[in-house]
Amino acid sequence: MTEPFEHLIRSTLTDLAEEAPIVHDQLSRAERRVRNRRRATVAVGAVGTLAAILIATPLALAATGSDGPPPAVPSPAGPAAVPSPPEPTPSAPTAVPTVEPSPGGAPGDPSITPGPPGVPGRPTVTPSPATPPGPPGVPGRPTVSPTPTTPLGPPGVPGRPIVTPSPSR
Amino acid sequence: MDEDERARLAEFVGSRTPALMRVAYLLTGDRNAAEDLFQSALARTIPKWGTIRHADPEGYLRVVMYREQISWWRRLRRWRETPLNPADEPVGGDPSGGSDVRLAMRAALRHLPPTQRAVVVLRYYEDLPEARVAELLGCSVGTVRSRTHRAVKRLRDLLPDVDMLEVRR
Repeated sequence: MTEPFEHLIRSTLTDLAEEAPIVHDQLSRAERRVRNRRRATVAVGAVGTLAAILIATPLALAATGSDGPPPAVPSPAGPAAVPSPPEPTPSAPTAVPTVEPSPGGAPGDPSITPGPPGVPGRPTVTPSPATPPGPPGVPGRPTVSPTPTTPLGPPGVPGRPIVTPSPSR
Repeated sequence: MDEDERARLAEFVGSRTPALMRVAYLLTGDRNAAEDLFQSALARTIPKWGTIRHADPEGYLRVVMYREQISWWRRLRRWRETPLNPADEPVGGDPSGGSDVRLAMRAALRHLPPTQRAVVVLRYYEDLPEARVAELLGCSVGTVRSRTHRAVKRLRDLLPDVDMLEVRR
């Protein structure tokens, strides 16, 4: 039964094909359509480019045109809140010459509160191994050797903040 | 495109337009849609004319027509306008025998979706093998077989008195 049915399909299609419209001058119409399509493509491309520029320009200006410095970026190494002992700075030449060893362990000015050892000023002191530190309160020998590279302060100017431990305490 | 190539193109279009319009009419089932399909395919072929004129321009144009017909965008556009033809009307009895079946078949062909209709035209009007149809439509042979099977089944469903065909013929 498939064969007659397929024959019916073929004959119907052949009949239909005979009713196809007769057209003329299709080439000029197709060429006009090509021109219109090309013009539309160019116009759409231009509009798209213009839209991209209009959108991207303010964004680019906003990204690069800020006057203030950018916020600090946290260091990835870890929190900076970890207290670290102050690095001794060897640039305290005024501290060195002020160390006046009181011969005999005379007490210093009692009004001066002694500071903890290692207060700035000490690091420049290079303890000599030959002279062990004396008993508390007794300042060691003035083995302080000023760093030759650091310029010395004016001689005789006492360094105020440098605390000399009181020998009586 | 120079004058010589344009003359060749005009000659090709003038000589092959009737046959191509028949195929376009079978593919679409509507005169205006057939003319639009042919012009659209021709507009896509003209920019390529310099490269295909020595090969097979008619084959290229046919492939463009087949694929344009089953393209998704074109289907969207076609849904907006549904032509009402006399062939869509219910077919009454025909004492001459056979004509009503053919009219019913024409109406049934109009109800096929574009993909199935294209397969039916290529298989039963152009008499192309399944492999060639698959190549032209850009699908597999299995797809061509399944579409053909569904198309024939649907045509049978739309022709309830198909059992009387052998008697009437």
